[in-house]
Amino acid sequence: MAHVIRSIALLALLAAVTGGSWAAEPPIEYAVKASYLYKFAPFVQWPATAFAGPSAPLIICIAGQDPFGHMLEDAVRGQRVNGHPFEVRHVDTVRPGMPCHILYAGGGATEALQAVASAPVLTVTDGGQGGGIIQFVTVQGHVRFAINQAAANGNGIEISSKLLGLAVKVTR
Amino acid sequence: MNARSLLRRLMTALARTPTIGIGIASLLLVASLALAYHNEDQARVEKIREVEAQARVLAASLTGPLAFDDQTATFEYIEAMKASPEFDAVGVYGLDGRLVAGFARSGEPLPRTNKVARSTVRGNEIVVAAEVEQGGTRLGSVYVGAATESWARRAGRYLGIAIVLVMACLLVAVLGAFYASVSAANRRLEAEIAGREEAEEALRQAQKMEAMGQLTGGVAHDFNNLLMVASSGLELLERTTDPIRRDRLKDGIRQAIERGARLTQQLLTFARRSPLSPEVLDVGKRIRSLQDLLERSLREDIRVQFDLAADLWPIEVDPSQLDVAILNIAINARDAMPDGGMIRIGAQNEPAGGDQRHDMVRISIRDTGSGIAPDLLEKVFEPFFTTKSVGTGTGLGLSQVYGFLRSSGGEVRIESRVGEGTTVFLLFPRSSQPLPRTAARDLSFNRAKHHAAVLVAEDDEHVAELVCEMLRELGYNAKRGASAAEALRILEESGPYGVVLSDMIMPGKMNGLDLAHEIVRREPDLPVVLMTGYSEAAASAAAEGFPLLVKPYTMEALGEVVGQALRRAPPQPVP
Repeated sequence: MAHVIRSIALLALLAAVTGGSWAAEPPIEYAVKASYLYKFAPFVQWPATAFAGPSAPLIICIAGQDPFGHMLEDAVRGQRVNGHPFEVRHVDTVRPGMPCHILYAGGGATEALQAVASAPVLTVTDGGQGGGIIQFVTVQGHVRFAINQAAANGNGIEISSKLLGLAVKVTR
Repeated sequence: MNARSLLRRLMTALARTPTIGIGIASLLLVASLALAYHNEDQARVEKIREVEAQARVLAASLTGPLAFDDQTATFEYIEAMKASPEFDAVGVYGLDGRLVAGFARSGEPLPRTNKVARSTVRGNEIVVAAEVEQGGTRLGSVYVGAATESWARRAGRYLGIAIVLVMACLLVAVLGAFYASVSAANRRLEAEIAGREEAEEALRQAQKMEAMGQLTGGVAHDFNNLLMVASSGLELLERTTDPIRRDRLKDGIRQAIERGARLTQQLLTFARRSPLSPEVLDVGKRIRSLQDLLERSLREDIRVQFDLAADLWPIEVDPSQLDVAILNIAINARDAMPDGGMIRIGAQNEPAGGDQRHDMVRISIRDTGSGIAPDLLEKVFEPFFTTKSVGTGTGLGLSQVYGFLRSSGGEVRIESRVGEGTTVFLLFPRSSQPLPRTAARDLSFNRAKHHAAVLVAEDDEHVAELVCEMLRELGYNAKRGASAAEALRILEESGPYGVVLSDMIMPGKMNGLDLAHEIVRREPDLPVVLMTGYSEAAASAAAEGFPLLVKPYTMEALGEVVGQALRRAPPQPVP
């Protein structure tokens, strides 16, 4: 337990130094969420058509309000999943057919979710807002997530049972 | 068969040099050590593989919990690892390389950062690291330290096998050494036995010769008497014309000659160098046949009396050794009676019963001599023990008796009273074999019905003349050849002959036996009878299967043998 607290404290310090949006949300929570956001990728199987090539980037789109600042860019730097480097894109409006693999729909991005409905996109929602395949929740002060497997199936992506096992709630 | 001979060769080689056995044993030891080392190495490699597999399983299980900071799940996995005593230390490290959770059971604590690149063995511990990754994304790493088997446990495992192995090697070496020593001892024993047999043979002959020496004086004296009878008889024969007187004189001469012939025959048989050859015999008959020899080898003031039971059981002994034994005892008796006396030789059956387990035939030789003191009685059978003065006895006489009785399965006892005399008892086991049948004499052939021709090969002119005269008297036509060559020539020139009678010892290239072989080769149906005065020559003739006449022989014996030979041969035309 001690090292967990220590690592969270460290992340907090990092966030403070790099000057995240400290005032709006507690930055530790978003640092964790930023890390989780890209770590979902290894546990998700996209259809082969979702990538242009074997080393085409895996694109994480941030729609609506961006709570991460550059924490996400820092987290994905140098990381790869199955040979694909990460790329973070901030988008104002999401249109169908946009090249997104993971879509983080911040507050008020409901139409963005609709835009990628039934497209091979892992949608992630936050802050009590539902509708995404994965939804961040806070349980006893820890960042956890719920998974809507039916929605994932609807979008044509597969989520590893390992990830399902860690979810606080799985909707089938 | 091949494998057996190979094994035998190997064992022989082992026996020759026990070092080969030790060499094989050491080779086995080295081979097993190498095998143990190889096994140990294999086991270590397998163990590393096993721990690596377990580390990978742990890493795969930890991907989710590590990626999403699920402490509970992480701890559960680590606890599961902890439950196995095999693992000394398990550490889970995050993406930044720092320790997230883990345990170290003993010894040094977990490293703060996981720097293990590849599996290594540190002392008794195998240290393995595995990457935690999902979809090609590195999420952290695990560190697993597993205890290898301790030296003590491994040694314990091998100790049992090693003990068995060492025992086996020891056994091989001991067997080899034992076999070597046994075969060496056996060789020594065989050599010793051979040496002893030779010595015993020589001793027997020496004993016989000593008895001969004892006899010779008496025999020579007796022979002179016989010759005296013969020569004076002949002289008187020439001077008288009274037919009754002449017949009496002729009878006396004939008897003297017969006794002399028996005597020399016995001496020759007695002196013959022959191996110990037991035969079934009638003891009474054998002892009685010794009478002449005994009476003449002892002094005139010593009487010999026989007390032989009529229905004695047969015994199986060497006859000449029996003669020697009885003569030796009789000579001792003679020497114990310097003033004359009586030797009583008895024989009777002793049925089994009491201490005696078998039927025995007991021969007793009792004298009326000076007796033997009790303290010397035990020593009389020892070789070279003698009470006689130097030059008169060798002390081998009674030891021959003892040795002969022992080798015949019998026993010898001696009873003596000083001043009254000594009795020696010889006990022989009864033989289960019947007595050999003696051929019934056919007297009907004394005079030949047909005048068959007999060729006589004899170098001695006087003997030849007499033999031819006897043959003519028997109704045969006789012709003489002085040598083997001459006999063959006569056989070719003037034949045919019904039988050839040949002396065995003749001058020239061919002796009698060679002549007999040559005749058999030329005319297989022509019978050959050999005659000789030498017992050794007689033995070789008998061995070849030729009928034999032992010189001197009577006309009756001559007629019988020649007649038998003619009857066996197919009828020959009369010349």
